[in-house]
Amino acid sequence: MSYELTIEPLGQTIEIEDGQTILDAALRAGIYLPHACCHGLCATCKVQVIDGEIEHGEASSFALMDGERDEQKCLACCATAQSDLVIEAEIDEDPDAENLPVRDFAGVVSRIETLTPTIKGVWIKLDDPAGMRFQAGQYVNLVLPKGIGSRAFSVASPPSASGEIELNIRIVPGGPGTTYVHETLQLGERLGISGPYGRFFVKKSADLPVIFMAGGSGLSSPRSMILDLLAEGFDKQITLVYGQRHLGELYYHEEFLSLAELHPNFTYVPALSHEPEDSGWSGFRGFVHDAAKAHFDNDFRGNKAYLCGPPLMIEACIATLMQGRLFERDIYTEKFISAADAQQVRSPLFRAL
Amino acid sequence: MDMKVAKKKLALKEKYRLLTRDLGWEPTYQNKDEIYPYTKYEGIRIHDWDKWEDPFRLTMDSYWKYQAEKERKFYAIIDAHAQNNGHLHITDARYLSALKIFLQAISPGEYAAGKGFARMGREFPGVGTQVACQMQAIDEIRHAQTQIHALSNYNKFYNGFHAFADARDRMWYCTVPRSFFDDAVSAGPFEFMIAIGFSFEYVLTNLLFVPFMSGAAYNGDMATVTFGFSAQSDEARHMTLGLECIKFMLEQDPANLPIVQGWIDKWFWRGFRVLGLVSTMMDYMLPKRVMSWREAWNIYGIENGTALFRDLARYGIRAPAGWDDAEKAIDHMSHQFMLGLYQWSFGTALHSWIPSDDDMAWLAKKYPDTFDKYYRPRWEHIKKLKAAGTQFANYGLAKLCQTCQLPIVFTEPDDPTRSAQREGEYKGEKYHFCSDGCQHIFENEPEKYIQAWLPMPQLFQDPIGGDLAAWMDWVGLRNGKDNGDFDGSEDQKNFDAWRAMATSNQ
Repeated sequence: MSYELTIEPLGQTIEIEDGQTILDAALRAGIYLPHACCHGLCATCKVQVIDGEIEHGEASSFALMDGERDEQKCLACCATAQSDLVIEAEIDEDPDAENLPVRDFAGVVSRIETLTPTIKGVWIKLDDPAGMRFQAGQYVNLVLPKGIGSRAFSVASPPSASGEIELNIRIVPGGPGTTYVHETLQLGERLGISGPYGRFFVKKSADLPVIFMAGGSGLSSPRSMILDLLAEGFDKQITLVYGQRHLGELYYHEEFLSLAELHPNFTYVPALSHEPEDSGWSGFRGFVHDAAKAHFDNDFRGNKAYLCGPPLMIEACIATLMQGRLFERDIYTEKFISAADAQQVRSPLFRAL
Repeated sequence: MDMKVAKKKLALKEKYRLLTRDLGWEPTYQNKDEIYPYTKYEGIRIHDWDKWEDPFRLTMDSYWKYQAEKERKFYAIIDAHAQNNGHLHITDARYLSALKIFLQAISPGEYAAGKGFARMGREFPGVGTQVACQMQAIDEIRHAQTQIHALSNYNKFYNGFHAFADARDRMWYCTVPRSFFDDAVSAGPFEFMIAIGFSFEYVLTNLLFVPFMSGAAYNGDMATVTFGFSAQSDEARHMTLGLECIKFMLEQDPANLPIVQGWIDKWFWRGFRVLGLVSTMMDYMLPKRVMSWREAWNIYGIENGTALFRDLARYGIRAPAGWDDAEKAIDHMSHQFMLGLYQWSFGTALHSWIPSDDDMAWLAKKYPDTFDKYYRPRWEHIKKLKAAGTQFANYGLAKLCQTCQLPIVFTEPDDPTRSAQREGEYKGEKYHFCSDGCQHIFENEPEKYIQAWLPMPQLFQDPIGGDLAAWMDWVGLRNGKDNGDFDGSEDQKNFDAWRAMATSNQ
């Protein structure tokens, strides 16, 4: 049993399971609500219920007053849904969020490319001629057959090509979903996708130079975002720092080289961490965060940074950016919060990083 | 499909901005440096005060409304506690020693924090900071009041509660938290925020409040549980203020990093020493124990602290310098403190006791590597002395650490068989320390710590002149009532007698 939870002032609607707290549902959907103690004592997560029925759970009578209960306030860390809900929370409105509705699409596999030994490009042509409206950087859920279920993948193509969605999928050893895509999926096969999801997109309204830091299979969102920015004539500096272990894994390398030649405001900084010494690679050798540090001379002030890649890379990049004077308000990462991540003990020092 | 949406409501942040706009005007006939004279001398460089985000958007009118309701609820429960003889519902009278420690050592600290935040509300530029500090100042005074009122019910029946205000200034173990708060309040505004807002409210508060409040719940003390809940509902604001301040300093200028790191090192160690008494409360004083100090440290110290310092590492901050020494002390400190309290129990306004066989079995289980090896033999020896009618008491004066003011009762971090003692010289005078951590703090600011008032030298000065009875009068200690072994004390006898009356027809 699940209900719909609409969060104002974002206007975004997400699912909330029976017995799941409002806070948990919001965090898992990538919506940050202020919170601290997580067991009903500190009142940091107090929100206003505008419509619907909730159960207060373990909220302390000192943290949530009688008068506030009468006014339909609740503590998001304890409250559970008894019906569809509309709440208003203390979240900053994001002028760049288009809040596009999530829809289900059917389509057919129109192209499959081997991008690297472990990553395949899969193109899905949607039946709906209007295609899927999405913001560059967002992701979709790909519904796989044989009871595998759905898997989340960022869209690698730009929003202008909305009729044919490109996904870059790395094989996860032992993972049934990605194994299916790599070993069984055929041209012409029909698949369902739903989307767009996520709040990872370029803050165009800030009108600041942008840095993309990508590694592993995290190139999809940055690629879509860069193609989108260049197509619409974004005139600030765009820098892509992109890392793999060796040249054979550096997919779309040629494309970025030619984009850099074509657009004077686009700089491409590739980095290889395990390229053989004698390979003739003349670019940066080392990790993405070190390449960025060297390229920007350890001063990232005045930029917006977008990070995509494996957790260790993200963590190293955040520390590098912060020690180069760029802080949380200017750093964005794509977060897929798994159940394991949600349980990891984190301090409340940062809101979303 | 695009849906038509009704006109969006103002976000809370926007509402707050409109409600509070123009409170922070630019002065025209006074220079800002003169209005806020203390924001620069600590060396912290601030370029843009507007980057300080209002940590908690609460207006004064709703603040009063919330706090008034909290007070009504709190006093209703305290009244019920008094009318139902709630003091007879606790597990047994040994639990009272935990309450006495809290009242003598912690509640005056709440009051001191209130004074400190009142000052910071005046000294920090920026409306958000001023309002947050003012509210916290009122919160802290409220906490001190509710604690004193809750515990005054116990003062009607038991010893050791009546003189906490004098004890705060004069009693040898109470000067430990007092010196902590005085050190913070007499520092600059940014250091104060690290000391209280960050180190105490965030890093260490769970180690203080959770054990005390769960201890109260486990031992049937509803009054204390209630003031705990009431205080904790203010914690969100306090924690956010401390965290916001540390981020603000670190983000404003790279030159702030080493200063902030120095304060984190200092205030972690200062806080760790003050909280040492909590370890004894948890391991020895609760008749019904919640968890061991070691277990509490694993959860609230290691797990939460590691998460915090992992996040702070992004700014280039490392874990506090004393972190490893703290970890090495965890399995020893509660035993060393309790042995200290017991040997000086003639001079404490609370009772201590020799742990029973059951207690020792529990301690051995919780401290498999240390208790049986180092501490059981000493308790067994003390037990033998008592049985022979020659109870051990240490009438010598304890050597105090010049920084934390605790008696030097701890052992070397890497050798639990050797007493840890440090000494240093400054301007021809010799000073003693309990640890490397405390010595470093002194050496960083010797001119501050040589002014410290230490309770032991006071014993030889007016009005005491070295006379123990005169000292007891001076600290408000009634010999034979407030002090000494729990076994045979008035508290023990009265509680047992009154409880028997309440639960039987005798």
